[in-house]
Amino acid sequence: MEDKIYRNSLNYIPVDVAKGIDRATGASVNADDLDPNYERMQKCMHCKNFTLNKEKIGLGICTMMGKEHLAYPDMVAITCEGYDEK
Amino acid sequence: MAKSFKEMLAESGQELEFQSGGKAPDKLTPRENIWESHPRIEKLKEIYMDSLSSTNNEFPYWYTREYFQNDNEIPVIRRAKALKTAFSHLTPLIYPGELMTMRKGSFFRASFPMPWLSEGFYMANESSFYKEALKRGSASVDEHSTMGAGGGNVPKSFGKVMSIAGKFGMRQEEIPVLLELAKKWEGKSVDDLGNKYEQMVPDYDVKEAIMRSVVCMFDSGFTLPQGREVANYYFPLEYGFEGIKKIAREKKNEVAGKADGDGMVGMNRLYNYEAVIIAIEGIQKWINNYAEHALWLANREKDATQKKEYEAMAERLLWIENNQPRTFIEAFQMIETIHLAIVNEDAISGLSPGRIGQVLYPWFEQDMAAGRITEDEVLELLEQDRLIKTSIDCFASVGVVGGVLSGNTFNTTSIGGVNKHGQTAVNALEYLVLKAGGTNAMPQPTLALHYDETMPADFLSLAADVIKTGSGYPAFMNNDVAQEFLINHYGHEGMTVEESRAWSIGGCLETSPCCWKPLHLNGKEYSIPGGAGQPTSVGVHFIAMPKVLELVLFNGVDKRSGIKVFEPHNKKFETYEELVEQFKAYWSKAVDVLALTNNIQHDVWRKINMGIFHSLTKPDCLESGHLINELGYRYNATFNVESAGNVTCINTLAALKKLVYDDKKYTFGEMVDAIENNFGFKTAHEIGKFSLMDQEKKDDATKKYDKMHFDCLNAPKYGNDDLYADEILLDWENWFCAHSETVESLYGEPMYSCQISVSTHGAMGSATLATFDGRLQGTTFADGSLSAYPGTDKNGPVALMNSATIWDHSMSQNSQLNIKIHPSAIQGPEGSKKLLELIKAYMRKGGFHIQFNVVDSKVLKDAQANPQNYRDLMVRVAGFTQYWVEIGKQVQDELIARTEYESV
Repeated sequence: MEDKIYRNSLNYIPVDVAKGIDRATGASVNADDLDPNYERMQKCMHCKNFTLNKEKIGLGICTMMGKEHLAYPDMVAITCEGYDEK
Repeated sequence: MAKSFKEMLAESGQELEFQSGGKAPDKLTPRENIWESHPRIEKLKEIYMDSLSSTNNEFPYWYTREYFQNDNEIPVIRRAKALKTAFSHLTPLIYPGELMTMRKGSFFRASFPMPWLSEGFYMANESSFYKEALKRGSASVDEHSTMGAGGGNVPKSFGKVMSIAGKFGMRQEEIPVLLELAKKWEGKSVDDLGNKYEQMVPDYDVKEAIMRSVVCMFDSGFTLPQGREVANYYFPLEYGFEGIKKIAREKKNEVAGKADGDGMVGMNRLYNYEAVIIAIEGIQKWINNYAEHALWLANREKDATQKKEYEAMAERLLWIENNQPRTFIEAFQMIETIHLAIVNEDAISGLSPGRIGQVLYPWFEQDMAAGRITEDEVLELLEQDRLIKTSIDCFASVGVVGGVLSGNTFNTTSIGGVNKHGQTAVNALEYLVLKAGGTNAMPQPTLALHYDETMPADFLSLAADVIKTGSGYPAFMNNDVAQEFLINHYGHEGMTVEESRAWSIGGCLETSPCCWKPLHLNGKEYSIPGGAGQPTSVGVHFIAMPKVLELVLFNGVDKRSGIKVFEPHNKKFETYEELVEQFKAYWSKAVDVLALTNNIQHDVWRKINMGIFHSLTKPDCLESGHLINELGYRYNATFNVESAGNVTCINTLAALKKLVYDDKKYTFGEMVDAIENNFGFKTAHEIGKFSLMDQEKKDDATKKYDKMHFDCLNAPKYGNDDLYADEILLDWENWFCAHSETVESLYGEPMYSCQISVSTHGAMGSATLATFDGRLQGTTFADGSLSAYPGTDKNGPVALMNSATIWDHSMSQNSQLNIKIHPSAIQGPEGSKKLLELIKAYMRKGGFHIQFNVVDSKVLKDAQANPQNYRDLMVRVAGFTQYWVEIGKQVQDELIARTEYESV
């Protein structure tokens, strides 16, 4: 289930680890609040090259370009050349 | 109820004058000047004021991933590739209203861990490396360091945010990868590898004991291995990034396969040039990502003005990604980008932009002449620069960030000084740089004014007005003294009088070698200054003089922890001279072992973590093909020996000399017994207060030590134009400055003395017993290196200046004198005039540095009690200004206690 919260949304301008700005309204919002104008942000968790590690919380594997690398689901992948949305 | 020290003083009719030259008005007195910034800047500042210092793993993730894929590569190429990948993947973040952009990471106040430097301090407690860090003493300093609980600091975890080092917030979702990345660097980081080899130094156990007992405050090679130096923006400004790559490619062709007479590192030039090209490609991609993001924002923006601004921003970024800037704003954006790139490349505090009013002048002059920009628009950009620089955080341990830096990162801008020909270098742009310091008063960049007698009077008046905003800057530095130091110390590396004129402050107060370079813009040549030296404030970090003296008193043992630090001397000290001789012997031992071990740390750093992008910006790396690690910089004799607690130690020696040896009022043993028993007081830690006046007697204390304590307090003190104490200072300075020059850095160069306290006087005082000057256990030392101990400078500012200038300041990289003045003392134009006369008098006497806290002590007390009302209150701590709420309690207490001058 996708968390449609600000910190996962392109409609969000992060200020710090706890809060940011809603692009649409300009309002200050909490990072973990639901975003009514949610737009999915590219993150590893949405990438076909990413596999979640079921045993280690918060970690996974990236298989971009045929090699296996440590990865984590929450990382922003806007600049990742291998991002391939699920 | 235990008596306070203050009550004891009152009962006995003794007094320490915390107000000098009169009495402060009863009511709270605000600062005289309150200026406003442009509305756009105010909006951005509001975001800053409400933002937390935040960190994530984006940069370290990509760096680590790339680094370990290239284990077949030459170290410099391996690092360049890791840097390129990390920069290329930083997520761009642009805020509405920004004119210039780019930041360290994807938060307003972003920073990130660099586990390749040091990972132990934030790893889980069960980690063997964490335990090792405890043993090494890295954590001892942390115990004595406090971080301010307010402002942007994250002192405790909350919700889904984890606190690291009491300052940084990280999302809990990021913690597993933080630790996983750190584990990859276990045994491979500069910290771990350096420690492996420094243990091979004979007497390593002495070094470990020194660190654990907080005789020295922190290691050098893996904490903040670069910084306290002046950036040089010349090459990108002259050639553009594509131009530099072209030079590097041509040089590669010239040097490939050739040693050219240098059988040791001549061949390395090929790999170094290749690394330079790779690193620049990473920076270019980073800029390009920001440009793309600006275009993305423009495409979805409905407001026409904002849309246009995003488009213009994108165009500027796309241009400077490759080319020499064409306009003032492009040039400013470029130096912001270079600056941020350098502080992202390594853990750095004190990367000073230098004399940007002179560096950017060519574009200012030509844009103004062509009507492309107005002074008001330039001022607005300079105000934004202050926001950008204040937002620069550096991820490090509590001991480093809290105990030393007080959360500041010392991106100091210099103004004034002289040009290549020795005439004043003040120009029209510098007036605006100075003015922006008042219109957008924020901690960074703090301003260092290089004073010389040819400086225009109206520029000095403006400086006085800015000081009266309460900003704590500009600090005044003596141009002639700095040049003399530079010629003396760097003469053997080619420093000339002309080149010495290019100097700037690097970090807080570090006189740094620079050079002139010919900048060409539209057919006109300008000479611009920029950094040409390696990092300063590296080598032997802060050694607490009072702590070394304490070890003399207790035969080499740290009484507080029970650790044996030095071999016992077993002396009775029949004479004062014998005691001083032993003090110098222990000092020499500490310096010796710390220099050797830190040389190894830095040597490991240069082998695996050398600066590449930073190196290419510094003369003469690009010309020679050698980076920082192969003496590519023009000036390499930049390592130093740092002292702390100077005045506390001088006062302690003066009391000992007076009471034991001259007057024979007490025996040496009686005095030591009093110190061991803290004159019958509780310790500062027991009561949680760190200034002398707030200390409390033990509940069961007798009056056994009271008389001796008062005698100690009344013994001669530095800062009163009293030769009894001042000649002790003179003797120490003459010896210390000369001794530092006998110590050799890993680059085969002599060190020098560095005399600034930063915030160490809090943490190091915390670990030190009572001292014979009457100071009690755990309380702070006197700040700076020439500031009087609070309440002891009773003869006014001129007497203090006479004491401070008894020695030749050009023997040292710096000295530091902080003065706190009540706002009413320098009210109005007449007050400004008096302030400037005071400064000029000090400079003419040969003082190197003086700065002012213009604040009512009552305001500080109120701010400590009601921090929620003072988010934007700034104070001058040492060579830097900081928000009150982000400063730890120790230093807050000391700031309140400093002598307040009611008249000048």
